[in-house]
Amino acid sequence: MRARFWIVASLGLAAAALLGVALGPVGLSPAAVWAALAGHGDTTTVTIVQAIRLPRVALAALVGAALGMSGAAMQGTLRNGLAEPYLLGVSGGAAVGAVAAIAFHWNTVVGVPLAAFAGAAGAAALVLTIARIAGGRADVRLLLMAGVVVGAFANAAIMVAYATAPPESVRGALWWMMGSVDGAEWQRVTWLAAYVVIGGGALIVWARDLDALALGDDGAAALGVDVERASRRAYLAAALLAASTVAAAGLVGFVGLVVPHMVRAAGLRQYRTLLCGAAIVGAALVISADVVARTVRPPAELPLGAVTALLGVPFFLFQLRRLAARS
Amino acid sequence: MTAAIEFRDARVRYAGAGGLAVAGVTFAAQSGNITAVTGPNGSGKSTLVKALLRRVPLAGGDIAIGGVTLGQMSLRDAARRAAVVPQREEPAFPMTVREYIALGRFPYASVWSTSDPGGDRAVTAAVERAGVGGFLERHTDELSGGEWQRVRIARALAQGGRLLVLDEPTTFLDVGHEMAVFELLAELARDGMGVLLITHQLNLVARFAQHVVLLHAGTIAAQGPPNAVMTGGILERVYDWPLVVARDPAVGAPMLIPLRAPSPVTVHRPMET
Amino acid sequence: MAFARRIAVPASTALSLAALAACGSGSPPAARRPLSNADSPPVAKAIVDDFGDTLRTPSGPPRRIVSLNPATTEMLFAMGQGNHVVGRTRWDTYPPAALPVADLGNGLRPNVEAVLSVHPDLVLLYAAADNRDAVGRLKAAGVATLSVREDRLADFHRILSLLGAALHDSAAARAVDDSVTASLARVRASTAGLAPVSVVWPVEIAPLRVIGGGSYLNDLLADAGAHNVYGAMSDPAPQVSLEDLLRRNPSVVLTTGATVRAMRSDPRWQRWLADSGHRVLVPDTALVGMPSVRMGAAAAELVGLLHPGVVH
Repeated sequence: MRARFWIVASLGLAAAALLGVALGPVGLSPAAVWAALAGHGDTTTVTIVQAIRLPRVALAALVGAALGMSGAAMQGTLRNGLAEPYLLGVSGGAAVGAVAAIAFHWNTVVGVPLAAFAGAAGAAALVLTIARIAGGRADVRLLLMAGVVVGAFANAAIMVAYATAPPESVRGALWWMMGSVDGAEWQRVTWLAAYVVIGGGALIVWARDLDALALGDDGAAALGVDVERASRRAYLAAALLAASTVAAAGLVGFVGLVVPHMVRAAGLRQYRTLLCGAAIVGAALVISADVVARTVRPPAELPLGAVTALLGVPFFLFQLRRLAARS
Repeated sequence: MTAAIEFRDARVRYAGAGGLAVAGVTFAAQSGNITAVTGPNGSGKSTLVKALLRRVPLAGGDIAIGGVTLGQMSLRDAARRAAVVPQREEPAFPMTVREYIALGRFPYASVWSTSDPGGDRAVTAAVERAGVGGFLERHTDELSGGEWQRVRIARALAQGGRLLVLDEPTTFLDVGHEMAVFELLAELARDGMGVLLITHQLNLVARFAQHVVLLHAGTIAAQGPPNAVMTGGILERVYDWPLVVARDPAVGAPMLIPLRAPSPVTVHRPMET
Repeated sequence: MAFARRIAVPASTALSLAALAACGSGSPPAARRPLSNADSPPVAKAIVDDFGDTLRTPSGPPRRIVSLNPATTEMLFAMGQGNHVVGRTRWDTYPPAALPVADLGNGLRPNVEAVLSVHPDLVLLYAAADNRDAVGRLKAAGVATLSVREDRLADFHRILSLLGAALHDSAAARAVDDSVTASLARVRASTAGLAPVSVVWPVEIAPLRVIGGGSYLNDLLADAGAHNVYGAMSDPAPQVSLEDLLRRNPSVVLTTGATVRAMRSDPRWQRWLADSGHRVLVPDTALVGMPSVRMGAAAAELVGLLHPGVVH
């Protein structure tokens, strides 16, 4: 069962990447795409394939991998199958940063990702600090409560920004909040790759802690795990991954929530393999969602977050059926 | 002979609390014995386990496992010597019983895995000991209360230490399963394991424990063999409820019989006299 | 499922705002032409504005006009009605004679109290969904309102004649109209024989939106001897993908200074711009930003940028 999963997942990722390069609002023949990948053909086609589609596929893959791993880690540290990467301040803080940058017309290519990342990181740190001041420990319930506090503050700040910003910039801010790999170019891909390698690598090294944490705080302590340190650093790595995806592509929801469940359903339970599986499945999912977003209504593009949000419907229906079957 | 575990003037204060939850507790649990720690709710029983797990820091005194204080050993080391079965433990995501028991080898495994190469033998032995061989492939959320408890004990056994600490292991079990757990603990103690048991079940403590520690408001009210500790006077004072200690007809162990409340504190008025 | 709400709140806010914007971008209903051609008819006439509301003018022409729309402000002054304008938005800075007029704030979601404080008898608003509330409140206060919206060149002519009817001065309106039409005709003549230059006019980079066929700028571009590669799309400012834009390969990019900066820092734009020697031109935003009385000058400016050397 497991070997089959890896084969299917890898093939799925490869297929999605191929589709991502071959399909788009501009119809290109496979031969033209193939030639363009090698650098031959008219400059427009080469630019489209090499400078627009390839970086998009790469960015989408990285975003999906990061969100899949981050979601798996969050569900492990919070011991809750409904946890997702944007919890605990990350999405609110990132949105405040990005909306502020857009409203004040800071350079959109560099300024917005930077501001979004700073906002996300700041909010995550704030959540940890509030929880620590309140209870002295990284207790899960305190973390969640602190996350609610920071999230509420972020929502208020965003609304004030929308209300006072010039109207023409509001649309851009809204667009950002719905998520998109539209701005993909190689520089952005590079720094996102660095974050994914660092954050994802850290999680994979600490993966066994997550296996122990799944038993509960006392159960993990009984196995010799420093519960507070293990959950805090796993949470930080997960938050770093989530913050970097938000900086690169805005809010792409439901991927981090759904992917770990898909991988668990395929039989992967140990965190080291679960994380790797989540990275592959997440990458394939986001690439596919981006293909849909680009080809459904050309030449316009749907926001990526809108397509991934549709994932939520079957997921929650499935959870509902499972709950009903249990009780 | 060094005790399997020893609490020496242990003190614990919870963050934000006024007084000490555990205020100078000193006792030892020997290998080959079942030592029961009992007492009313809030007397500090579970706090002792939390201190052992280092979930709360000791405000004073120390805890020694096999003669070595906690401060001198890492968390991993402690987990190898003392296997704790905490009160509450429920895997957030279902796993098979086999996988769960194998987690008992966690303290021995390297960074890259949750199990060690020599661990298979230990796991098999633990499975046999706890008698859970029949449901290894079932998932942890499919087990009954009794089955789950035995599986948890199996996991603790797989940890390979000479000390087993259990916090309220029989709370939700029916009499048959409860007795089965106690019998298993007795067997383990007979084979040389040190068993430290936190429990409410005074009557079973009287039957199975060699050493009883009675806690009251964070200090030890009495400790010793069951006959010495379980007397009407001591228990009535500690539990603040009228009771009588008799001898049970089966084996003659002390048996606790709580009395109905005296008249001024009537809880139920009969409809008709 | 409080966790899902984290996504749901911004998403549903976004969706509802998008829906509202979509409502706002519907095309306005056609206005009915006044029945009589007389300049100051003593009888009340029915004039229907772009919200579908009917304006019943009193027996005399309005004497205290608040114009919450830069386009209508310009039109009023061009028609010689400047001395009757008692309020404008902060964005209305042309002609210079408009500057002394009271600045009443925004044209979208205006401050109704501020408007009422200058005691207007006619208020001109921009016909966007955001302003329906203000229209309702002004009407409730007994003030006549006229809401207009210009997307295409044809709207300009239509709205001028609406204004002429509302102000009982159709002759002045016709004069302004003729003057603008004439200047546009001159521009068109000057570029008549030239090969059209293919252009794209991005107004926003993220998301990428460009001027489409539904905008007056498209009409101006046609007069200025240019071919808007997105002219076939009926939207005034449709959203398009970068791929599609590169595919259509316009030779000129017209845009604002801010968008140019964004383009220059984006490697994909840079690569395309560098490769094929495309030109990036920045027209005067104040001039081309609005479909009003200076459209002739705006078209001429475009000619100057696109076809340097042509006399216009």
